[in-house]
Amino acid sequence: MIEARQVSVSIGSTRIVSDVDFTVRPGELAAIVGPNGSGKTTFLRALTGELAYSGQVSLNGRDAVKLKPWEAASIRAVLPQSTALSFPFTVREIVKLGVTGGRSGALAGEDDRLPERALARVDLEGFAGRFYQELSGGEQQRVQLARVLCQVWAPVLDGQPRYLFLDEPVSSLDIKHQLIIMNIARDFARRGGGVVAILHDLNLTAMYADQICVMHRGKLAAAGAPQVVLTDGLIEKVFGCRLRVGALPQGDIPFVLPQSAVA
Amino acid sequence: MDETIAGGAGVQERGRRVDGDRSARALLVIGLLALALAATALFSLTWGASDASALGLVRSWLFGATPGNEALSMRDSVIVYDIRLPRIVLGMLVGAALAISGAVMQGLFRNPLADPGLVGVSAGAGLGAVSVIVLGATVLAPFTALLGSYALPFAAFGGGLLTTIILYNVATRQGRTSIATMLLAGIALGAMAMALTGVLVYIADDRQLRDLTFWQLGSLAGATWLKIAGAGPIIVLALATTPFMAKGLNALALGEATASHLGVPVQRLKYVAIVAVSAAIGASVAVSGGIGFVGIVVPHLLRLAIGPDNRYLLPASALLGACLLLLADAVSRTIVAPAELPIGIVTAAVGGPFFLWILLRKRGVVDL
Repeated sequence: MIEARQVSVSIGSTRIVSDVDFTVRPGELAAIVGPNGSGKTTFLRALTGELAYSGQVSLNGRDAVKLKPWEAASIRAVLPQSTALSFPFTVREIVKLGVTGGRSGALAGEDDRLPERALARVDLEGFAGRFYQELSGGEQQRVQLARVLCQVWAPVLDGQPRYLFLDEPVSSLDIKHQLIIMNIARDFARRGGGVVAILHDLNLTAMYADQICVMHRGKLAAAGAPQVVLTDGLIEKVFGCRLRVGALPQGDIPFVLPQSAVA
Repeated sequence: MDETIAGGAGVQERGRRVDGDRSARALLVIGLLALALAATALFSLTWGASDASALGLVRSWLFGATPGNEALSMRDSVIVYDIRLPRIVLGMLVGAALAISGAVMQGLFRNPLADPGLVGVSAGAGLGAVSVIVLGATVLAPFTALLGSYALPFAAFGGGLLTTIILYNVATRQGRTSIATMLLAGIALGAMAMALTGVLVYIADDRQLRDLTFWQLGSLAGATWLKIAGAGPIIVLALATTPFMAKGLNALALGEATASHLGVPVQRLKYVAIVAVSAAIGASVAVSGGIGFVGIVVPHLLRLAIGPDNRYLLPASALLGACLLLLADAVSRTIVAPAELPIGIVTAAVGGPFFLWILLRKRGVVDL
């Protein structure tokens, strides 16, 4: 279980995140949504130990501050928004860093082929020999996800659930790959792990999240199941635009929702 | 499933090529570089302004000195054991230290252009050394009296370490090192060290000026077993730490935060890398002066050949750096024989254009 209690983050004299409480149970996919600058990424960075914070964060009951880097790496993997490289690594070499970094938890002898399997999962089969820097932004993001998946390949290891922290995992992807990646995340949760994802697409959020945390000006504006949280009133208050949940467009304007995807 | 397809012959399994995995090629290159270094060292032993021949010496071991030839083989033995051999050992140590320091610093700064020369470490080490050359008889007399012939290496090492420590403190806030600040601070510190060095050059007398010029250009000419005894252990110790950094430096290529998420103790890695690099560079600068471009060209070239994986890049850099410095030294001591060209001129004359050529190539590392 991931538990955050009264987490606040200040950068300089500016308070970015104030007193956020947050709990993710194994088996859950929790989405963090909110307008730009609402403190989502800062909060995620506090959860992953990148930023100093006040309050308390624990992973599987252990204080996150007290975890050694390699201990934390065997409990959770983190996908940043984007990763630029200045050296010509191949895709396989990048993904392999995930295998050597954490404890994949794959069966003995499977580690060798894990990069290929992870790449196949993110729909990048055959990309192993390509140079990372020559890929498009969306492809790079999926390579990084493959790396992160290798790090915590088994969602549960030694009876301990493990976690994925994903910062905008689908924001640079086309609709097909958005669905693929969200399915991977949900599958990870269904098999006993936990997922925390920052998302911008409210439709994908409604479709995949078990729990939504809405952030607004550094505070938690609402939290709960999608049906409870995503209301006209909340969206107007937080995002500042008058949208109506569940309303169909007028006339013959086409609309495409991820919810209509046929498995 | 794909294993059965790829390994149709069954026995091919072990040698199967995995797309994007360059480790087999890297190991091959490391093996070849080791052979090349051995060959270059042997060649250097027999090659020089004097016609002294190491092969002749081997002959005289095997068959005994022929009558009337004893004086000659005595002279040969002095040239080979006391002049060429220490020079070769020192060349290999310095070449390996420069190249591997470049590779480590580039990994640390996630920048293929980072180099101890660039971030002021070499300039700081140089300032230490120049201080001893110019002020050794006056202001620093107690220091030189205390350390004797070790004064120069110690001063260079101290200058390099001091620069690195200032650099680290300027660039580190709340336990995090900003790479951009570190690069810029390094440039500023380098400029300050150069300015102070300039002042010292200005007040130096004629004899000191000549020493300074030769030392600044870089040379292995003064190689003695004594110098090796001083600088060698420092360099070997620094090089010995690098295999433990390789995995961490690989992860660091993804950024400090990601490296830490991958389980790398980032602050400790940076600390060890910085001390190792300044020790290796300080020791090298003390014994051989400013030899440029090895630290930047060698890792760059190897990244094109075997990729940036530090587990292979670091040892390969040490081997290629040692090899290239021996070749450059062979050129420097024979091209204007019986005089000698400082080796720094050779490495700059070859390394500069070569580096430009790499930068101009489309598939170069820098534009990617």
